[in-house]
Amino acid sequence: MICTEELTFRVGTFQLDHLTIDIPTGKYFVLLGPPGAGKSIFLECLCGLRRVDSGRVFISGQDVTCTEPRLRGVGYVPQDYALFPHLSVAQNITFGLRLRRCEHQQLMSRIQDMTQLLGIQHLLPRRIAGLSGGEQQRVALARALVLQPRILLLDEPVCALDEAMRQEVCVQLLRVQQQLQLTVVHVSHNLEEAFSVADLAAILHEGRFQQIGPIDELLRRPNSEFVARFVRTENIFSGHARATMAESTRTRIELGHTAVDVPGQHTGNVKFAIRPDQILLLPEGGQASDSRNCFELQLAGWRDCGAYIRLELTGPINLVAHTTPAAFSPLRHCSRLTAVLPLESIHVLS
Amino acid sequence: MNTDPNRPVASIRDRLFAAAAFLFVSLFLLFVLGLILGDICYINRKAVAAVLTSGFIRHALWMSIWTSVTTTMIALLFAVPMGYALSRFPFPGRFIADTIVDLPIVFPPLVAGLTLLVFFSQTAIGRWIQEDLGLEFVFQPKGIVLCQFLTAASFAIRSAKTAFDDVDRRYENVALTLGCTRCGSFLRVSLPLARNGIIAGGILTWARAFGLFGPLMIFVGSFRGRTEVLSTTIFLEQSVGNLEVALAIALLLIFIALVALTAIRLVGGSALVKL
Repeated sequence: MICTEELTFRVGTFQLDHLTIDIPTGKYFVLLGPPGAGKSIFLECLCGLRRVDSGRVFISGQDVTCTEPRLRGVGYVPQDYALFPHLSVAQNITFGLRLRRCEHQQLMSRIQDMTQLLGIQHLLPRRIAGLSGGEQQRVALARALVLQPRILLLDEPVCALDEAMRQEVCVQLLRVQQQLQLTVVHVSHNLEEAFSVADLAAILHEGRFQQIGPIDELLRRPNSEFVARFVRTENIFSGHARATMAESTRTRIELGHTAVDVPGQHTGNVKFAIRPDQILLLPEGGQASDSRNCFELQLAGWRDCGAYIRLELTGPINLVAHTTPAAFSPLRHCSRLTAVLPLESIHVLS
Repeated sequence: MNTDPNRPVASIRDRLFAAAAFLFVSLFLLFVLGLILGDICYINRKAVAAVLTSGFIRHALWMSIWTSVTTTMIALLFAVPMGYALSRFPFPGRFIADTIVDLPIVFPPLVAGLTLLVFFSQTAIGRWIQEDLGLEFVFQPKGIVLCQFLTAASFAIRSAKTAFDDVDRRYENVALTLGCTRCGSFLRVSLPLARNGIIAGGILTWARAFGLFGPLMIFVGSFRGRTEVLSTTIFLEQSVGNLEVALAIALLLIFIALVALTAIRLVGGSALVKL
C-alpha cells in the first residue's frame, strides 16, 4: 500500500539513508526511534512535504515521488496537531471539503459521521484556543479523516497528552483504524504506545532502519544492541565464545569468572540478551532439570511493578528478573535464589 | 475585586519594581502631553478659526489624507507578497535583499527627497519616465505619494515579513495535505494568520507618510492648493510668522493621527491593541 525504495533525503549534516520499507494495506505501522532519528522527516517525505534527494515513494502501487501533497490522498496529523487557530472546530474539520467544493448535504453528512465516530459533536462551534489536548487531537484526526484517505500519517499524535488520555486515544486510534480499514503510519518514541497499537513496527536511528518487523518480534528478537536497548531489554551481556563442537547447538560464552550457554554456534565476541520474564527462579538449592545456566545469586532488591515483580540479583552474573506476584510470594523471604536461564530466554544480538 | 486574576502574590520589592517601570511610562506621557498642552495654551481662538475656515488648509488636509492612505495601500500591495517571499522562499542574495528593504528606514529624510529629485531630473531613465511616459512626479501631487512610499513602505514590508515568519509553517503544510496549492495555503492560512502584523505595518506606514515633511519640500515643494500637505503648511505658516496658525495646524494633525490610530486599533481587535 505504501512503500519506499532507497529513499534518501539530506538536510544539513543529517540524512535519511536509503530507506526501503513496504507497509501492507490495512496495517497499523509504528515508526519508533529516539528524538532526532529522522522519523518526522521520513513522514514528511511520505506525504510530499519534503522533496526526496533520491529513491522513490509508492502509494497504492503508484509512484508519487514527484506528486504534490494534495494529490497523494493521505491524511496527515502533525505533532501538536496544527489546527488553524483563526477557524472554528467546524471550519477546521470542513477545510478540505470546502476546498473540494463539496455539496452542503454531503458536507454535513460527512461531518456528522466523523464527529460521531470520534465523539466530538459538541465541539463543532468552539474556537481552537479553548480546546484541551485530547480534544485538539480528535479534531485534527477528524480534519484528516473527513476526506476519506486510505492512508493516515500521524506524527507523535499522543505525545502532548497525559498518560491516561494517551491510552484512551491509542485505543480510539486503533478502533478508528480497524473500522475504516486504514493503513496507518504512526511516528512515536514511546514503546508502550507502539505496543498498544502496532501490527508492524520499525526502529529508525540516525536516518537508518535498524529493524523492521512485527512489534512482538522487535521485543523478543532485537537484532542489535541498539534495538535491544531501545526496547528496554535488560540483561545485555558481552563475552568471548569458547570453541564448540561442529554438531553442537549451543556455544559457551565466557563472562569474567563465569560462563553462559547461548543457542547457536558463535565465534569471537558475542553479545546476547536474557529476557527477564523467562528467567526461572527457585529458592536457594532448588534443583533444575538441567544444571547448565544455573546460578546461585543474591536477591539484592525487588520492586512491585503492578503486573509483575522486578527482582535485582547479584553474584557471578548480575541479572534482572521479572516474575508474577504469585510466583514471588514463596521467594519473598529468601536472601539467595537459584536463577535458571533456559536457552529460549537468551537471544544473541547480531 | 481582583482586576488581574493572573497576577501573582507580590512583595514590596516587586511593587517597587513595577512602580519604577510605571515611572518611565509616566515621564514619557507627561513629556508628550506637556508639549501638546503647551501648544494648546499658545494658540488663540483667531488661529483656530483661520485653520477651520481656510480653503488652502482644507485642501492640504485632504491632500495629506488621500496621499497617505494611497501610499499605505500601495505599500501593503508590495509588502504582502514581498514579506511572504522574504520569509518563505530561500534565494541567492536574500540576506542582501532583506537589508536593502530596511535601508529607506535609516535614510535621512532629506536624502530621500534629494535622491528622488536627482533620479527624475538628472538621469536618463528618470527623464524618460517623466517626459516620454508622461508620468510626472517632480513638483506634482503624484510625487507626494512616491516620496511617502520610498520613506514609509519599509515599515509595511518589515512588519509583513515578521508576521509571516511568526506563522508556523506546519499550518501551511497541513493545508497542502488537505488539498491546498501553495497559493491556496497562502490565501487561506498564512495571510489570515499574519493579518495583525500586516495591519500593524500598515499603521506604521500611514503614520510615517502622514507626517512626512523633509523629502516633500525638496521633491515636490509646497505649492498652495497643489502639492501642499499639512506638514508643509505648518512650515509655510511659521516661516511667514504665523506661529499660532502653524501650531493650530499641528494640533489638527496630531488630533487626526490620534483618532485614526485609536480607531484602527479598536477595529483591529485585541491583538492590535497590544502593539
